[in-house]
Amino acid sequence: MPRIAGVDIPEKKKIIVSLQYVHGIGQKVATDILGKCGIDPDRRAHTLNDQELAAIAAEIDESHLVEGALRRQVQTQIQRLKEIHSYRGDRHRKGLPARGQRTRTNSRTRKGRKKTVAGKKGVKG
Amino acid sequence: MSRSLKKGPFVDEKLYRKVEKASGSTKRTAIKTWSRACTIVPEFVGFTFQVHNGRKFIDVYCTEDMVGHKLGEFSLTKTFKGHTNKKEGIAEGSKG
Repeated sequence: MPRIAGVDIPEKKKIIVSLQYVHGIGQKVATDILGKCGIDPDRRAHTLNDQELAAIAAEIDESHLVEGALRRQVQTQIQRLKEIHSYRGDRHRKGLPARGQRTRTNSRTRKGRKKTVAGKKGVKG
Repeated sequence: MSRSLKKGPFVDEKLYRKVEKASGSTKRTAIKTWSRACTIVPEFVGFTFQVHNGRKFIDVYCTEDMVGHKLGEFSLTKTFKGHTNKKEGIAEGSKG
């Protein structure tokens, strides 16, 4: 199984798809990387030889932030918002959406599973 | 959508002039302002602003980390005091 950027090892899929299993690589970046390495994006991941894999790994290393490093960067950015006590930082602290979305309904990704409140509209009792 | 780069950051001119004037003297008093939309520029670092939140003025001390943010981001306009407690009924409303 091919290994790229640490632990990620998807095999039977097209290389352009399997690269996207790496945190920080989506369609755009995957296309860019393969274009730069001169690899056909439709080839299956297991058909790549070590040289080609090394080329991909080198390209990622050089010009893309992925996995742990990317996660850490995002965390420090959020941490900064929290430290300066900006509105966005407060929203992160409270686990609510930070970009002005409504919270009367929805926002379930940030708020987690529904907590039913008795007496609220539509709830009996 | 973010603001056009051509225009540069929005800085309230009057406020900027006030800061310039104040940075000459050593005494630093808080500057009262209603301009919540004004971007914090490097010149503002070290100053304290009293930013209006619609009801009163909130002290905002500008640090280097805040450059690029707006003054209003640090002067909250809403007071949330938690949801009503079932036992205590509606007594716990949000009154500012």
